[in-house]
Amino acid sequence: MKPKILTVDDSKTIRLIVSKAFKSFDCEVYEASNGVEGLAVASREQPDIIILDLTMPIMDGAEMLSKLKSNPDLKAIPVIMLTAEAGRENVLRIAKMGVRDYLIKPFKEELVVERVGRIIDLKPKSETTIRTRRFDDAINVLVVDDKPAIQDQIRAGLSDTPWTTHGRSQTGEAVDYCSQQLPDIILVSLSLPDGGGFSLFQMLRASNKTKAVPVFGLSVKTALEEQARAQQAGFSSIITKPIDFEDLKIKIARALHLDMSYKYFEQKDGVLVLRLPANFTPNVSNEVGNNLRSKVSEAVDSGLGKMVLDLSQVRTADISVIKLGLSALQLCQELSLKHCVIGSDAVSMECKNYEESKDWDFVGTFEEALAVLRGGSAVTA
Amino acid sequence: MIEDIEQLISSAVTEVFSTMLNLKVRLDASCNAMVNGEGHVAGSVGFIGRVSGVVFLYSTNSFARNMTSSLLGLTDLEIEGDEMVNDAMGELSNMVVGHLKSRLSDRGMPCVLTIPSIVRGNHFTIEPVSSTERRIFFFNCDGRQLVVEVLLKGT
Repeated sequence: MKPKILTVDDSKTIRLIVSKAFKSFDCEVYEASNGVEGLAVASREQPDIIILDLTMPIMDGAEMLSKLKSNPDLKAIPVIMLTAEAGRENVLRIAKMGVRDYLIKPFKEELVVERVGRIIDLKPKSETTIRTRRFDDAINVLVVDDKPAIQDQIRAGLSDTPWTTHGRSQTGEAVDYCSQQLPDIILVSLSLPDGGGFSLFQMLRASNKTKAVPVFGLSVKTALEEQARAQQAGFSSIITKPIDFEDLKIKIARALHLDMSYKYFEQKDGVLVLRLPANFTPNVSNEVGNNLRSKVSEAVDSGLGKMVLDLSQVRTADISVIKLGLSALQLCQELSLKHCVIGSDAVSMECKNYEESKDWDFVGTFEEALAVLRGGSAVTA
Repeated sequence: MIEDIEQLISSAVTEVFSTMLNLKVRLDASCNAMVNGEGHVAGSVGFIGRVSGVVFLYSTNSFARNMTSSLLGLTDLEIEGDEMVNDAMGELSNMVVGHLKSRLSDRGMPCVLTIPSIVRGNHFTIEPVSSTERRIFFFNCDGRQLVVEVLLKGT
C-alpha cells in the first residue's frame, strides 16, 4: 500500500512544492489549508506522516498538533513541523510539542524528502510508472459541451497530436460513455443547462472508476463566477474560451504526467544528447531543467558515459541558455561524464561574453563532437 | 534602531532566493530605481514586538511570474491568473521576514509576524509616517531587480 503524506499549510505555494518533492516517489500526497481541514483529512485518510505548518489561520499548527495527540486514532501519526521562524526559542518550543522533526523555511525539496524518508519508507516510482506515457502517445479526451462548434474546435485544435477526441452534448451521454470506456481526461462545459457541468463533475468524482480522471472546466473568459465555483468544487483546471490550444496541451500533459522531455533529450550513438530548441522559452527552460538530473542519471545508469550539449539550433545564447548549459555541464562533471558543446560560431562568440561560459570549447557538428569524445579528453566546463 | 539591518536583510534575501529559487542575489546600489513602465508586485509581511515594522519585496510583474514559475516548477502558461503569483510572493516575503524574525529573536527582541499581503499597481509608493525609519535596499538577481523596503519603529 502506498504511503500517505498529508501537507497542511495555508500557502498553496508550499503545498505545491511539497507535492512536487514527492512526485517521483510511490506515495499519495494529500493537502489541507489549515488545522481544521488537516484534522478532517487526517481522520479520513489516516496518513503515514503529516508535514504541518505552524502559522495558519482558523487553526494553527500547534493547536492541530495538540488535537492530534489527544485523539487515540491519530496520536501515533508522526508530524514534521514546518516553520519560517528559526529562532532558538521557537525551535525549543517546537521540540517540546512532540513532533518527530522540524524544517525551517526556506528549504530544499530534497531536504523534505530526506526527512520524511527517515520516518516512512519511500520508494521511487518504478520506471514504468514514471514514464507511463509520452506526449506523443494516444490519449483519449472526452469533451462534454452542448455546442457542437466547441467540440469541433477542440478536435481541430488537438489534431496535431495523436490524441483522440470524443464529443458528447449531454451529461447523461457522458456518463454512458464513461461506463463503457475510461477517458484519460474530461473537458466539461461549465455552462451546460441547469448546472449540468457541476452535477456531472460530482458524479465523476463519486464513481470509483472516474474519480482519478482529471476534469477540466470549459468557461467563457469573462464568466468569473462559474470559474470560481468550479475551482471551489475541485475541478483540476479551468480552460477559458477562446481556447489557447498550446496552453490546453501543456495543461493536459501536466495533468496526465506525460513525458515531454524526449523533445530535448536523446540517446544517440552511445551519447546522451541535450538539444536546446531554436525557440528557447522559459517553458522550455523549466521542462529541461526539471528533467535534467533524472535524464542524465538515467543515461549513466544505462551505461552511457558521454554527453553532448547541442546549441546548434539556438538563435541567441542569452543568460537563460548559459545557465541551463552550465547546470548540464556541471552535472556531467559531478557524474564524471565526458562532454562536448555543439554550436555555431555566433553562439560560441556569445558564450565567450559570459564568465560562466567563456571557457566552453565548441565544435560545429555532432560528428566532430563524437570524435572529440572518443578521443578521450573531456571538454572544459 | 537595528544597526546591521542591511546585513540582516541581505542575508535573509540571499538565503531564501538561493534555496528556493536557485538565484544568486547581491546588493547592488547602482540599480536604485524601478525604471520600466511595467506593473509591479509587492509582497509584504509585518513584525510586531520590541521592534516593529514591515518589509516589502518589490519586483516587476514579469519577474514575479518568473519567480513563481521557478518556485513551483511550472511553465509560464500553467500559472493561472495572479493568485499563484500573489501566494508565491507572499510566501517568499514570509520566509525573508521569518529569517529576520529569527535573528531578532536570538538577540532578545522577540516578535510575531503578520500574514502576508500583496499590493499590485503601476505607479505607487509606500510613504512612512514621520516616526518611522525607512531603509530601501536594491538587489541584483541575475540581472533582474528586486527592491526590499523596510519600515522600522521601536517601542
